[in-house]
Amino acid sequence: MAINSNFSISKIIKWSYADTSIAPLVVFRIIFGLMMFAGTLRFWLKGWIHDFFILPDHFFHYYGFEWVKPMGEFEMYTIFSLLLISSLFIALGFFYRTSSILFFLLFTYVELIDVTNYLNHYYFISLVSFLMCLLPANRFFSCDVLRCPEKALKYIPNWTVAILKFQLGLVYFFAGLAKLNYDWLFDAMPMSIWLQAKTHWPLVGTYFTEKWVAYGLSWMACIFDLTVAFLLLSKRFRPFAYLTLVIFHVITGLMFPIGMFPWIMILVTLIFFSPDFHEKIIAFIRLIFNLKQATSLGHNSLALAGFKKKFLTGFLFIYVIVQMLLPFRYLTYPGDLFWTEQGYRFSWRVMLIEKAGTAFFYVTDPETGNRGEVKNCDFLTPNQEKMMATQPDLILQYAHIIKNEVESRGLKDPIINAQVYVTLNGSRSKLFIDPEVDLTTLQDDFKPKDWILDN
Amino acid sequence: MKAGGFLAMKRFLCLYGVVLGFLFLPSCGPEEPPIDSFEYGDLFENVADNMIVPRYAQFQSNLLALQARLNAFDASDVQTLISLQEQFKATYLSWQSVSAFEFGPAAEYSALLRINCNSFPALTDTIEENIQFGTYNLDFPSNYQAKGLPAFDYLLFHADQNELLLELNDPSRIAYLQDCLADMQGRVDEVVNAWDSYRDIFVSSYGNDQSSSLSLLFNYFLYDYEQIKRNKFALPAGFATSFGIPIAMDTSKVEGFYSGKSFELIHANLTALESVYLGIGENGIDGIGIYEMLKAYNAISTVVDGDLSEAIADQFVLCKELVNQFANDLPYEIVNNISQVQETSNELQKMVPMIKNDMRSYFSVTVTLGDSDGD
Repeated sequence: MAINSNFSISKIIKWSYADTSIAPLVVFRIIFGLMMFAGTLRFWLKGWIHDFFILPDHFFHYYGFEWVKPMGEFEMYTIFSLLLISSLFIALGFFYRTSSILFFLLFTYVELIDVTNYLNHYYFISLVSFLMCLLPANRFFSCDVLRCPEKALKYIPNWTVAILKFQLGLVYFFAGLAKLNYDWLFDAMPMSIWLQAKTHWPLVGTYFTEKWVAYGLSWMACIFDLTVAFLLLSKRFRPFAYLTLVIFHVITGLMFPIGMFPWIMILVTLIFFSPDFHEKIIAFIRLIFNLKQATSLGHNSLALAGFKKKFLTGFLFIYVIVQMLLPFRYLTYPGDLFWTEQGYRFSWRVMLIEKAGTAFFYVTDPETGNRGEVKNCDFLTPNQEKMMATQPDLILQYAHIIKNEVESRGLKDPIINAQVYVTLNGSRSKLFIDPEVDLTTLQDDFKPKDWILDN
Repeated sequence: MKAGGFLAMKRFLCLYGVVLGFLFLPSCGPEEPPIDSFEYGDLFENVADNMIVPRYAQFQSNLLALQARLNAFDASDVQTLISLQEQFKATYLSWQSVSAFEFGPAAEYSALLRINCNSFPALTDTIEENIQFGTYNLDFPSNYQAKGLPAFDYLLFHADQNELLLELNDPSRIAYLQDCLADMQGRVDEVVNAWDSYRDIFVSSYGNDQSSSLSLLFNYFLYDYEQIKRNKFALPAGFATSFGIPIAMDTSKVEGFYSGKSFELIHANLTALESVYLGIGENGIDGIGIYEMLKAYNAISTVVDGDLSEAIADQFVLCKELVNQFANDLPYEIVNNISQVQETSNELQKMVPMIKNDMRSYFSVTVTLGDSDGD
């Protein structure tokens, strides 16, 4: 991109504020709201509110968000009720601004409670719901417009749709970039492991043991991720790209326990289609629900000017830059990213590695010299234990959780070591961190963790 | 023209709906079993019919035999004490073969076999108080460690035979043993009966979610193994913690402390797990076990070189050998030979990542409740 010339920047800005149809944004709003409703309901019905936020005795914090704590049972269920209501309101465009802000805040709060629940998918939802707070997605075909018809818009600035396309494209592109590594491309790992577990699949299953199948799928997934966003932008390749996208997500949805994510992606990427297409969807919804055409179609467009416009331009610019740089922060750390996971999160590294660990923690009483192995289930849920065992920052947090527990029971200044064995992409289990280091003497920060052993 | 576009749109969306509907149907099944349910059915059938059901039946009949010996006990005849003791040992060994099946019927609140039959070490003071005052409710959690097999272990072995004969002349002691026995029998009978109908549910289960047979079998296999490592070994040897606090060595915490059969019990427990792993039934026939499943996957061990199915089998053999190598019982070895105890403990520990990581990942058993994106 030729960002180095002022001329093209001003051209981009000009284009950003030029009019486009509101229809794609409106359809996106409806799909997003409904999918969030379904996802939240699913989470609730699976009993995960209890399992993830009520059951655990301890929670793993995000750096800088130590103050985020879960609330009681009643409050957590209330929060999820509000998520259900606000997501439905988003779909309906009913008190849209309030609903979208509420949804963003509550969803993000829930995600910040425990790092061991981190999924790129949830991060994606947080980002999109944040963007939705800024977008005029309720200004057409919504309850808000029904209440105040004068608010109806037919045209909105290009950036409102473009920022969502950017966000979606980013997920794919960076997921593709992340696949450009030796294991993925030249060892077909961890694809081979994943396929091995699916050899019972009818018809195709027998081929899953073939190395060339694993290589083929690895390369195809990589090429797909890198190119799909660009192909979706091109009118000519869009139908082909979208069909590929549907097939890709259906396959991953069948292969991995990734919940709603594939289906969400299949639907939200419809935003890449033309305004015409989305106007037809709206017309179709009207037809099904027998909704009357609004009397005033609202031909006006959203005009922004002065400080508001400058602020928005600056803000969007920073948002885009940060989003593009964040996945590269791992470059500032030494060592193998997949092994140390320093700078791993928030970077769209989705279904990329197969990693598992077993962590034995030992507490030593400095006075008596008594040393014993910690029973991890005294403090953690099986899910937390599993997540902690492969991520150094969580291992450190857990050591401090143990320290606090032990000190509250009267043992002062315990020495805590951990023997952690980790296997990455099917390799031999290796010692992950220095088993001699007293973890209580360390604090988490952004500096490289020199107590992680080499892979 | 508009109507035409409309129709085309409608057709497209209908088609889209059908395609999506089709796609969404199997979406309930991304957590499908990694090999087809028919093969899992073979595993479950073998485990249920040739292990779980006959083993419970054996434990049940051992308890019956114990009841007969207890009824026949005569405080003036040392032979009746010896035969009672012998039958108790046989019963305790037989317990080791069912402790890994604490799911389904055994996990019902009215059964809860492990906690009700084998919470050790025995709280001897509580046992003596219960006998002395005669007012006890064995269902109370405060009595978990004052009943079951550990109570028998204490009451039948804590002194020499002459002293025991004197003690057991007291009818309230015999009555207490009878109550403890009846408590176990009631629970075991319930489990045995419940397996009549649960068997079909267990065998026909598919999938690998939390309540699937695969998940239950796997998780309690691991749990039982970890109980050996921690409760039967690390805790008495002083290698364990309680809520993070290191616990000093305390040899009285071994299983079967009074009868002096700790290693035998551990060996029996390992053997019971090993045959579930290998698929060897009580009839001696080697059927489909976890071993065969791992073989079918060509599962690779990440802990030692090579084949996972063999690695776990070898580790079982090694652990059993190490346990057998001790000349004396565990309490003595803890005090006099801690390095060999530590070495055995290390080998027991080596198995954990093989089961917990490697085996679990090949079976895709969900420990994780939620979704994942693989990081």
